[in-house]
Amino acid sequence: MIVMRDAAQKRIEMFLRKGSNVPVDLKGKIVFYAGPTRIVDGRFAIGPTTSERMDRYLKMLFELGVLATVGKGERSETARKLCREYRRIYFVAPSGAAAALSERVESLKLLTFENLGTEAVYEIQVKNFPLIVAIDSEGTDIFELIKSTGGGDRA
Amino acid sequence: METLLIRHEELVEKISQKIVEANNIMREEIFRQLLSYEGPFCDVLRRNAEVAKTKGLPLCQDTGFIEFFIFTPFNAIFQRPVQESCDEAVMKVYSSRPYRHSVVSDPLYERRNTRTNTPSICHIFHWGENRLQIRLLIKGGGSENLTTLFMLPPTADDEELLERITEHVARHGSKGCPPLRVGVGVGGSADKAMLLSRLALTYSLNEVNPDPRYELLERRISEKLNQLRIGFQGLGVGPTVFSVHILQAPTHIANLPVAVSFDCYLSRIGVMEVEPVRIESRRKN
Repeated sequence: MIVMRDAAQKRIEMFLRKGSNVPVDLKGKIVFYAGPTRIVDGRFAIGPTTSERMDRYLKMLFELGVLATVGKGERSETARKLCREYRRIYFVAPSGAAAALSERVESLKLLTFENLGTEAVYEIQVKNFPLIVAIDSEGTDIFELIKSTGGGDRA
Repeated sequence: METLLIRHEELVEKISQKIVEANNIMREEIFRQLLSYEGPFCDVLRRNAEVAKTKGLPLCQDTGFIEFFIFTPFNAIFQRPVQESCDEAVMKVYSSRPYRHSVVSDPLYERRNTRTNTPSICHIFHWGENRLQIRLLIKGGGSENLTTLFMLPPTADDEELLERITEHVARHGSKGCPPLRVGVGVGGSADKAMLLSRLALTYSLNEVNPDPRYELLERRISEKLNQLRIGFQGLGVGPTVFSVHILQAPTHIANLPVAVSFDCYLSRIGVMEVEPVRIESRRKN
């Protein structure tokens, strides 16, 4: 997966506007909305950030060839429509569980935009990473289902 | 009059310890809530508390923009400005541990990461006690984005307040890592209400408003929000909120500010006290 969040996407959009090459290949990739902690003695923690903030860049990601996104929380109607239109998937990963998630990470490598600190772009390899489909390629949203059925145990 | 001295070194030391504790160790009352949760991701959430403690990792990658509420004796002097002592502690901890630097300097233009996680936010109050108390709130940006302010008409009642908060949580609750803790500041000016709503988040789950009317309102808000069934991770299982805390203050005849702040399920808070050194004691003749 490619790790990126607010600042990196804003910068990619600027590159595209100026007609420059985007310095990261997103074709066929999964984007994980996250910003890792600093790495100290090989130890770090990582977990999803709120996806709805990224909805303004979702069309751009799909145009660049992204297959799926991973984050936390409910997204907007825009995101549901885009998932349906491009037949893409949005997954939620457990939030507030960054120490445990770091056990499922095999490697984390900085790709570009180093000066953004934690908001730089990374490549991450994970194994047995816990995910739930939150919006499927038909635009069906688990959060909407939960609301309409009155609770997760009934959805 | 007696003058008290607050030592910079001691302050930095105590604050540093509390920051690490709040980031790495899940509080007992929160862990108990987690143990009674059976739903999506429950195993990984429980495992998280264990891994964080044993491996010295933070419970969440978002190690926050730290807020301090400092209650000082009015007759105390500090060796350094309090903000400096707090920031030194934050810098020390965030540069030596696998924590995240999440603070940018200019908010609108450069948004350059300060790479120290400072400045922190310090609120300083004088109180009548002879000791210094610091209450600490470590909150991520996700729950912070849920913050809201209602300038209600002064004739509004508790029912209206309840409705506005419920409406807001129904719409945004799933994005703040629920079950949430809700801090409500009622009265004062807009900024006072906001400050109180944040201070309210530094209370433990079972601390209630001493005024029975407000205690009842805390309970009513809590029950109403839990009927939303947003649940852990917003996935509909378990409580929507762990607790609601209200702090009220006098206000203007034309106003009824209601500020609402939210904290995520991890509730990374801490309270510490520092005994000042007596440096001078002079008796009246």
